[in-house]
Amino acid sequence: MSKYFRRKLFIYVLTFFLAVTIDWLIPRFMPGNPIQVLIARANLKAESAKVVYSYYMRAFGLDVPIWNQYANFWNALFHGDFGTSLWLFPQPVIKIILRAVPYDILLLLPAILLSWFAGNKFGAFAARSKWLDNTVSPLGYVLTATPYMWLGMLLAWTFGIVLRVLPFSGAYSYALMPTLSWIFIWSLLEHWILPFVSLFMVMFGGWAIGMRNMIIYELEADYSHYLETLGAPRRLIRRYAFRNALLPQITGLALQLGVIVAGALVTEIVFSYPGIGYLILQAIQNHDYFLLQGCFLFVIIGVLLANLAIDVTYVLVDPRTRTGMQGER
Amino acid sequence: MWSRTRLVLCMLLAVSVILGLTGGLVLGQAFPRNETLYTGGKQWGPVSNWNPFMAGNQAMGTIGLCYETLFLYDPLTDQFIPWLAESGKWLSSTVYELKVRQGVKWSDGQPLTAADVKFTFDLGKTAALNITSLWDWLDNIVQVGDYYLEFHFKQALYQEWANNLYNIAIVPQHIWASRNATTVSTGANENPIGSGPYLFFAVDQVKMVWVRNDNWWAKTALGKSVAPKYIVDLVNTSNENSLGLVLQGQEDLNNNYLPGISTLLLGGYALHTYFPGAPYHLAANTAWLDINLQKKPMGDVNFRKALAYAINVADIVSRDYGNMVQAANATGLLPTWDKYVDQAVINSLGTSYDPVKAKQTLTAAGYKDVNGDGFVEAPDGSKIALKIIVPNGWSDWMAAIQIISSNAQAVGINVQPNYPDFNGYLDARLNGTFDLAIDNQQQISNTPWSYYHFIFYDKLADIPSTQGGNYGRYNNPTAFALVSQLDKVPTSDLAGMKAVISQIQTIQLTDLPIIPLWYNGMWAQMSTAYWTGWPSSADGDAHYLPVTWNGYWNMTSILMLCNLTAK
Amino acid sequence: MTQQKKRREFAYFALRNNKLRIGVAIVFLFMVLALVGPWLTHYKPREFVAPGAQHPSSQFWMGTTSLGEDVFTQFVYGLRATFIVGLLGGGLGTLIGILIGFVAGYRGGMVDELLNMFTNIVLVIPSLVVLLIIAAYLEVRGFLFESLFIGFFAWPWAARAIRAQTFSLRSREFVDLARLSGMKPLRTIVTEIAPNMMSYLLLVFILQFGGAILTAATLDFIGLGPTNAVSLGLMMNNAVIWGALILGMWWWFIPPGLAITAIVGALYVTNVGLDEVFNPKLREM
Repeated sequence: MSKYFRRKLFIYVLTFFLAVTIDWLIPRFMPGNPIQVLIARANLKAESAKVVYSYYMRAFGLDVPIWNQYANFWNALFHGDFGTSLWLFPQPVIKIILRAVPYDILLLLPAILLSWFAGNKFGAFAARSKWLDNTVSPLGYVLTATPYMWLGMLLAWTFGIVLRVLPFSGAYSYALMPTLSWIFIWSLLEHWILPFVSLFMVMFGGWAIGMRNMIIYELEADYSHYLETLGAPRRLIRRYAFRNALLPQITGLALQLGVIVAGALVTEIVFSYPGIGYLILQAIQNHDYFLLQGCFLFVIIGVLLANLAIDVTYVLVDPRTRTGMQGER
Repeated sequence: MWSRTRLVLCMLLAVSVILGLTGGLVLGQAFPRNETLYTGGKQWGPVSNWNPFMAGNQAMGTIGLCYETLFLYDPLTDQFIPWLAESGKWLSSTVYELKVRQGVKWSDGQPLTAADVKFTFDLGKTAALNITSLWDWLDNIVQVGDYYLEFHFKQALYQEWANNLYNIAIVPQHIWASRNATTVSTGANENPIGSGPYLFFAVDQVKMVWVRNDNWWAKTALGKSVAPKYIVDLVNTSNENSLGLVLQGQEDLNNNYLPGISTLLLGGYALHTYFPGAPYHLAANTAWLDINLQKKPMGDVNFRKALAYAINVADIVSRDYGNMVQAANATGLLPTWDKYVDQAVINSLGTSYDPVKAKQTLTAAGYKDVNGDGFVEAPDGSKIALKIIVPNGWSDWMAAIQIISSNAQAVGINVQPNYPDFNGYLDARLNGTFDLAIDNQQQISNTPWSYYHFIFYDKLADIPSTQGGNYGRYNNPTAFALVSQLDKVPTSDLAGMKAVISQIQTIQLTDLPIIPLWYNGMWAQMSTAYWTGWPSSADGDAHYLPVTWNGYWNMTSILMLCNLTAK
Repeated sequence: MTQQKKRREFAYFALRNNKLRIGVAIVFLFMVLALVGPWLTHYKPREFVAPGAQHPSSQFWMGTTSLGEDVFTQFVYGLRATFIVGLLGGGLGTLIGILIGFVAGYRGGMVDELLNMFTNIVLVIPSLVVLLIIAAYLEVRGFLFESLFIGFFAWPWAARAIRAQTFSLRSREFVDLARLSGMKPLRTIVTEIAPNMMSYLLLVFILQFGGAILTAATLDFIGLGPTNAVSLGLMMNNAVIWGALILGMWWWFIPPGLAITAIVGALYVTNVGLDEVFNPKLREM
């Protein structure tokens, strides 16, 4: 078991190293000069722009050799220094990201966990009879095939614009400052509902379909038939099937994380929800590659941590891995 | 394992914990609607600094609401309004006298004196600031007493100096003196101490809140006071979002270009614009076509002429903009600079939409379709295939270059629209690798000199780092000399200015280094749901600029705030 | 003979399977529309043909955009782009998945270890974010580029699944037999293992196809899709930029999303239908 974890951990460390390198590499070898963008936005007088230009090149450490920039990057990283944002100059990148992270957690954690639980329950439920399967499954297919942003747009349009019952942009009312008060919490909740629901529904569809298909496989597996011939009650067989089907669904969660992150990104864009996804879009549009790097690293770290958590869960749930089976077959 | 009961129990527990934690909370307070002005349109990202020297990305109102300038400039009447200065005048050809207003206090209670003004200008000597270049021609500043200054110039650039008078914000010496050069030029300057009518109140990711400074000097000195207690400036998260906020009356003043709003202005919504009918908005800057003169065939003036004849600007104005903009004058000078336009020059040299003439011009210059593909080839037989660029996502411009491309194709010039991202667009212009591009970088100001300085920017080799303009690399020492000469004409000498400008215009229209297209508007959608007294063109209404962008508060927008009344 | 019988059996069940029939019918319908659509309209997708913001009418079947472009024309051209990216991106993803899956599963040992590690790394890196970064720095992008990107990051789960299948097939008698008779590994994979997994590979391809369409739509929506082109994702992007939601121009943003949902949903249903056809155990349901 410890060997299993050691191997996993090794892969994660390697991934992290590679990701950081890619992260550093890509923007640096792409055309265009971010300092020029910064100057362009400042709308300076031509005579002063020249002075400011050379000042910024020094300030962002872009005037040293490439290898040196790479070393500096790692060094700064270990000191928790992600550099300074170009778009929101002179704010440090880490500060900008830390402001956005709570919204991501608020949105993603409940959406992922609740959709996983509900989807699995529902999928197992659907597999129970032909009638249920024919009504529930198509809904699942439609949901899981829906692009995140489109569902978001539909919800925003229906509830925010046509019916005008829910706000469709931002994380809380523009008339409020964040305070620990009922009115603020209520506002937070109100603005959270639509993005949450659109994320939840698409993911829910996927888990329900996955579970439904797994259960059908399990019910047709030899052990189920064997149990059936032994005269075991259907309830018992279903429970075994459910538990066996749950394992691939846990692995599935790890596999899906990348897609979920993407979905969260576009959902945040549709609802102008101030999380990391929204930051990434802004960083791209404003060519703020320091902020983009920071966001990317945070996403990587988040995904790696989630993977680790899923691995631990898997080991706890699956007796086979506990007795020393390595990796998944 | 994940039994339903356990799940329910967990949720109950979570809910009760939250309830327990928040049980003692008081009811929060929102900004009272009738005392709050919601604005939007300046901020394209969370507020990151309040540094009056960091033009471009400082918080909305940093200059204007918090820090103030010596004068205000009113482009509609071409008047300078004394603000922190009581008066100013040229004592001789190289000495400018400035009297600082007495009784002005910083928001921390300290008096604002001539020492602060001198200190602010002196900062340009040590730190890399927008005013650094001023010291190339400013020699020294002499302070006499607490409220009197003399600026001694090596060489007086009158036009530029007048521009500085309403653009440089004065900062308090007692706070800034201890800062090093880096902090001065790039520090965030949190909790700014200014002299203006508003104080910093709060900031979060989507907005910045200013609160009224009840001890503002203009109350006693000018009998003016600003109406809104709070100004909440909202970050533009998207056009979609801004449009929604405007239509739902959540934003009182919006300064975005909102596509599709022209139809909405007509019906149902409590929206107000400066003009009741087209073009609805005042003109803020000129959009023109940059032409890369280093490349063939754009180096040929006849080709440029043909292109100018080919473009149907009226179509762009009506279809792309829904008549929310006006077609530009052949010189590209803004309507506020009408008096500088030499109509005789336009009559003899100006170009306007005329596809027949475009074709004639091409044929006469030897451009004809040799290979029969429907597009002309250059006189030397080489193929012509040009790209016209605007940044991706700038939807109105994207539509405009589609129209321009089809106009050009209609007369036989192969032009294709292309939308690189902003970085690519900027790079192509700065390094001179583009063919054709739309540009509008020069804003309204007190003098046409700023416009000509940009179009005829003379330091061609420095363009990539200074971004000084002239991206098509037009090279004509005579024109450059005339622009420098214009800078040295006193602002009071209208006839002298006109004489120089007329010569510049003759060169401009003969050589056509750029093609002026239309005037981008000072987009201002004002909602009458909560506030009235908005500026408008109607007689009896206040004629101020209703704009929150950088550099506009000091062009009379601040006076708009004094004129508002809550409903 | 058995092979032929098996094939006939598949055909019999395939024709009777409702999921398969519905799924294939929907995909086919949209494919036909994508093929003949451009002939049904006399406009170009980015051409201004009418006053802006027209409701759907007999002249403009899906109305017009704010700029006066015909939404129907954009829609059919966008469908084409969707299928092209789906086929290319999904195809490439499947191909890489097959290659890595087969080699890892058949070779085992050190090769498997290394490939597995590589797979895991690509799997963990959120592909869309990488795509975003790369796409953000490319000035001119085409459908081919987009498809390549999508393909290069979509293969890991396919490789994993194929590896597992190859693993179990490898120990079957007929593979052992081939190996004992001195057949080269590549030949063994191509002649013995691949045919036995054909049905499985088809399923993988269909899922990759659907996935590529969704990824492309996401990229286009963020504005990082092909420049100077029309696609369903880009239509939604434009609709949002021009405030179609607020202005109530539902005809602009509903069709593209609906088409993507229908196509991808139909592909998924087809996938399950085919699974039932290939897997006799599932047929009873």
